[in-house]
Amino acid sequence: MKYFDCTRSSYRSAFDSNVVYQFEIMEYVLDFGFERMGADGSKVDHPILITESVCNPVQSRSKMAELLFETYGVPSLAFGVDAAFSYKYNQGLGICSKDGLAICVGLTTSHSIPIVSGEPVFEACCRANIGGYHVTDYLKQLLSLKYPNHMPSITWEKVEDLKMEHGYVALDYTSEVRLFQKGGKEAEEKTRCWQLPWIPPPTEEPPSEEEIARKAAIKEKQGQRLREMAAAKRSSRINELENELNGLEFLMKQLENVEENDIPAFLSATGYVSKQEIESSIVKVSQSLRKAKGEQVENEDKLESSTSEKYPLINIPDNMLSPEQLKEKRKQLFLKTTSEGRQRAKQKRFEEELQRERQNQQDEEKRLENPELYLEQLRTKHRELSEKVEQRKRLKANGTRTNGNQNLSGGVGRGERLNAAQKERMRLLTTAAFDRGKGEDTFGSKDEDWQLYKLMSRDNDDDDDGQEEDEAELARVTSRLQDIDPTFVAKLDVGPFQPLTEAPRFRPLTKEDFQIIIGVERFRCPEILFQPNMIGVDQAGLDEMAGISIQRLSVKENGIEDRITNSILVTGGSCLFHGMTDRLEAGIRMIRPFQSPIRVVRASDPVLDAWRGAASYAAAPLFLRQTFSRQDYYEKGEDWLRRYHIRYSL
Amino acid sequence: MESEVIEANILLPQHLSFKRVQMSEKYPKGQARGRHWKHLKQIIQAENYQTYPANEPNYVNIESPPSMYPSKKFCDITGFEAPYVDPRTNLRYANSEVFKRIRALPNEYVQRYLALRNAAIVLK
Repeated sequence: MKYFDCTRSSYRSAFDSNVVYQFEIMEYVLDFGFERMGADGSKVDHPILITESVCNPVQSRSKMAELLFETYGVPSLAFGVDAAFSYKYNQGLGICSKDGLAICVGLTTSHSIPIVSGEPVFEACCRANIGGYHVTDYLKQLLSLKYPNHMPSITWEKVEDLKMEHGYVALDYTSEVRLFQKGGKEAEEKTRCWQLPWIPPPTEEPPSEEEIARKAAIKEKQGQRLREMAAAKRSSRINELENELNGLEFLMKQLENVEENDIPAFLSATGYVSKQEIESSIVKVSQSLRKAKGEQVENEDKLESSTSEKYPLINIPDNMLSPEQLKEKRKQLFLKTTSEGRQRAKQKRFEEELQRERQNQQDEEKRLENPELYLEQLRTKHRELSEKVEQRKRLKANGTRTNGNQNLSGGVGRGERLNAAQKERMRLLTTAAFDRGKGEDTFGSKDEDWQLYKLMSRDNDDDDDGQEEDEAELARVTSRLQDIDPTFVAKLDVGPFQPLTEAPRFRPLTKEDFQIIIGVERFRCPEILFQPNMIGVDQAGLDEMAGISIQRLSVKENGIEDRITNSILVTGGSCLFHGMTDRLEAGIRMIRPFQSPIRVVRASDPVLDAWRGAASYAAAPLFLRQTFSRQDYYEKGEDWLRRYHIRYSL
Repeated sequence: MESEVIEANILLPQHLSFKRVQMSEKYPKGQARGRHWKHLKQIIQAENYQTYPANEPNYVNIESPPSMYPSKKFCDITGFEAPYVDPRTNLRYANSEVFKRIRALPNEYVQRYLALRNAAIVLK
């Protein structure tokens, strides 16, 4: 064992609910405690008083006794209940009287223990398995579900802080909830907002005059430089081309001087094979020269001439051509048709543009002459389109959702039958399955069978295309409306669930995105102490528990119940919620007969009173009579240990 | 060891004089290897509370019975009163807006909301 890794986030607790079960960890805890308190002898030579849970199982008790006696050499030991010590302490302070009720709201459990003549009556005690831990856990889950993208910030420690600072118990849950549902000013005041750390993106300040001027000057200079470079390049290229052209022309002239037969030999030196090649290269070079010089190249004429040039073979009928020339002709035909097609497409585009221009102009005119009517028309169109789109979406969602969902509330078949596409799909599948028949399933033996699936998916796609068109139209109309209509508000559903199901919206994140709003949760989470059904725990809440424990009292002398309800002490860390005492009083009043005295008080220090009570108990002179020693433990055995209880009034 | 860890003073010395058996002697090879401790449920089972008289208080019979009041139904998402239940997901909701949100939730979140109420279907 080296040392405890305290940086591990999930610590192992020695407790399971409120009972100690992990004695290794308990040993570490006791080590730390004894060492810090200054134990340095060969054993811990003091009688020890340890608090335990109510009706602690004897196994846990005996293991604890064993640990203390064996490992630490403690001379004598006593076990007590923390809630009772807290009550005794407060009784000493005068807050509560000899007969009363102790309601202890702990971490994982809550107890209600009636106290008669200064001694707790455990036969009438009542325990609910709800405590501060469950409240924190509930709050953490609710916040994580509401703000899933801030989940790393919602840690256990932070949530516990939030609970302690902002949680309160509502006097009447339903009326408080109605207040929030109405959403009035009071609800606003009760809502708290937690701002997470957020750094806004750096804003660009509008540049000042000098900056603008400076930037413009720099740009000018850069532009100048670029232009100079381009000009230099162009002139050098022009020079090159001119040189080349001159060389080629010179070559041509030389060729004319040379005889026919010597041409190949002459040309092999230069790298050109025939006269035509030289000619074509001359043409090319002169063309590029002209382009470089910036003269307008007449494409149209070129095309025209080249058409007739390039496709000379098309006009000649087939039977007059050799097979090579036929191939040539086919190629030229193909080229001609493609270029014609291109031209046609270009023209069509041009016409479409013209038409759109005309339509826009008409729209503008209509708008100018009668703005109201135009707006109305646009709005109705928008409404229709949005309805159609939503309907499609709903159908699609219904169809696909029931397919994927495990909860078969209506049966899988019903969802599939709803959508037309799904209907088609089912039909195809059943016909495919039926055709084979005869008890044997030979679907798939032939390749054509699988074409079935292609059909099915195509059916689904058709739906998509139609929907896309509608959505595009809707988007256009929406944008138009937003431009002209000042009162139009596009209907977008907003909410923290948005990023989960729809495409992310690309707008800059604002401060509000990083705020966690805690409104209803403030009193919804502590409410589980009074209504454990909210969390699924099938037990009674705190106020009801008080009634149950009073009922379980077997000693029914007159007036004891009134005396008990007159002094109800609330202790334990989780009782620090604002409004808890009022709520308890109201709850107990509902159970008790009319006008019985009810007085609910909070302990002077709910968190530490148990310790203080135990300390004063252990300091009393008669304490040692209540402890048991090691001999007792070994001689008397487990059964005696089970029945061992201390007297709390010394 | 880092200076902050030493200064924080949370470490215990290796040998504690008041202990009869040191931890290092118990586990010479380092960390305590999984000694299985009985959980509360097993402890209670082993206690055999049936053999003891029923009016003696023990861990089991002081437990609180179910509540007398009929449970009020609250919306799983907002916490308001919930008169309605979604038949597909079994979530309670307060009004139609919340219903829209519920229908847009992915299945994982539905199960988590149900688990808050202990109403999720757990397949073992």
